[in-house]
Amino acid sequence: MTEEMVTVPNKLGIHARPAALIVRAAVEFDCDIWVKSPADKVNAKSIMGVMTLAASGGTAVTVSADGKEEREAVDAVVEIIKSGFGEEMI
Amino acid sequence: MLFRGIPASHGIAIGSAFLLKVEELRHARRILESHEEAEGEVKRFQTAVFSVRHDLENIADSMGDVVEGRQILEFLLLLLQDPMIKKEVEGGILTGMVNAEYAVSTTFRGVMEKFDVMDDPYIRERVADVKDVGRRLIEKLIGTEKEALNNLEQPVVLVAKDLDPSETAGLKPGQVLAFVTDMGGRTSHTTILARALGIPAVVGLQRITSEIHPGDTLIVDGIHGHVIVNPTEEELKYYRDVKARFMEAENLLQQMNPGPALTEDGNRIELAANIELPHEVELVKKLGADGIGLFRTEFLRLIQENGENEEDHYEIYEKIASEMLPKSVIIRTYDMGGDKFRTGLDTVREANPFLGYRAVRIGLERPAEFSIQLRAILRASVHGNIRLMFPMVTHVEQLRRLRDLLKLVQNDLTARGIPFDKKMQIGIMVETPATVIALDLMLPYVDFVSIGTNDLTQYTLAVDRGNPRVADLYDSFHPAVLRQIDTVVRVSHSQGKWVGVCGSMAGNPLAVPLLIGFGVDELSVAPSLIPDVKKMIAVVSTCAAREMAEKSLSIETGLMVRALVHSYVIGKYPEILLDENDWKTGG
Repeated sequence: MTEEMVTVPNKLGIHARPAALIVRAAVEFDCDIWVKSPADKVNAKSIMGVMTLAASGGTAVTVSADGKEEREAVDAVVEIIKSGFGEEMI
Repeated sequence: MLFRGIPASHGIAIGSAFLLKVEELRHARRILESHEEAEGEVKRFQTAVFSVRHDLENIADSMGDVVEGRQILEFLLLLLQDPMIKKEVEGGILTGMVNAEYAVSTTFRGVMEKFDVMDDPYIRERVADVKDVGRRLIEKLIGTEKEALNNLEQPVVLVAKDLDPSETAGLKPGQVLAFVTDMGGRTSHTTILARALGIPAVVGLQRITSEIHPGDTLIVDGIHGHVIVNPTEEELKYYRDVKARFMEAENLLQQMNPGPALTEDGNRIELAANIELPHEVELVKKLGADGIGLFRTEFLRLIQENGENEEDHYEIYEKIASEMLPKSVIIRTYDMGGDKFRTGLDTVREANPFLGYRAVRIGLERPAEFSIQLRAILRASVHGNIRLMFPMVTHVEQLRRLRDLLKLVQNDLTARGIPFDKKMQIGIMVETPATVIALDLMLPYVDFVSIGTNDLTQYTLAVDRGNPRVADLYDSFHPAVLRQIDTVVRVSHSQGKWVGVCGSMAGNPLAVPLLIGFGVDELSVAPSLIPDVKKMIAVVSTCAAREMAEKSLSIETGLMVRALVHSYVIGKYPEILLDENDWKTGG
């Protein structure tokens, strides 16, 4: 099990388009990946899950993974969140 | 039980109700008997996912590099394959022992409810996408109802929330006796098509789909906009009688002399036909129309599954033009967007599609694709009397670019030694106040204009013609609309250009005298209206029409204008052309 905390840096937070970017990165890996906010913990491969997390800008979320290539998986998802999805930052 | 809606297409039909696609996301629950059956349902669900995925990928491919469109499609694909949704549906089937449709609909409804209560407006907006995916899955699961429609043993009355124009185009008059819809207005595109097909229709009934059950007997009175559900014996008898009289009158009109349209005092008015589908040409010729005033080409987009094909266009244009010779055919380039045919392109949701990406706005941004249609029209132009018309031109720059693009295609044809009509007339639709006000600046670039009164009314009055809640504000007799028509005729004639009207007004019994009075050169209407309009023209004297038109310009309300024309034509028109409410409604 690998996990890492990251703050959602863009203004609008994880809305539909960022959620799609996260899911697309997550489905590349075979391991289980989750994103956890103070409110909820969801499957990072589920667009439904990531969207209902509704993590707004500035929220701290924890990305965790368990299984094959868990380190790479966490890195990939954290990287995408850190990038701010190419949107306006806070 | 009687329902009142908007009379959309004249005629009376009696038949049993067929509900199309009204179930949406609530599907009957069926309890499964065995585990094997449940496994079978899971398989069905997976097959449906697979085939929806295939459809969505095809749409995504067809969008080329429309970035927003691709993003939306990708989002739909992610939703479709979401592991949480998959788990919930399959779990619902296996543990709840229910059919796949029911499991899909409850799961998707749950997801939509979840999205609906979220604070983030960006996420709430995605509810429509969830619904779209759910609907596609259900449609695959139940097999499309449209297929069922094709296998009917006897004709039915079609009941639907709304009909896509593409669906209406596929209806065969023998199969569908009439249609009634919750949505729609008197001049929505679907309505216009219904008239062309000669199917009675009542639209804008708001909630009728939730009141009618499959198999109910319906009387559809497309003259008054009434729908009677499960009528009494007495009502049935009355309407059978009215229907017989209506048919008799219709037959009389059809038998009329197919000569030119002449006013009472012998002035010739060009009366042309609006067509949508190539096979309508036959009827148009029989009715003796003075050409095709508007050939809508949007359906060509539908039949071309693998992108634009110049030969498909060419064959159809060439056939229509040569069959109509020596009469002219006005081909209008794609008018996609707005409420028109759904294409891969407009899967991008716009807040205001009527103010958005439509018609030549699309064409000018995709010149390579647009040139295919232009090339085909030019090539066909040597086989008949073709005129080219561009819709929704609002800026002179657009007109310049359109002419440049046309020139480019012409030069290429010349270089290749392919013949085309160098003198082909070029025109534009006048359908926005902008075009009217700046018309003198646009006219030097064109040979003619044709007024699309439906859009012109909608844009002038800021009324969505398909929204039943504001449909009563839609009024083509509003002073602002009439004055614009007058302006268009005067300005165009002063520059020696001719003016047609191809909107619904050209077929409206109370508008015809006014249009003649304003000096419009050509009226173009649905083929089925040609005999009626010819009759209308025949009783109007040019002099009286001019007086009425002149007078109408200083009248305050549309209602009063209609009353004025009504008092003139009453007793002149055959009774059937006017119904008691005609002068009250503004369509």
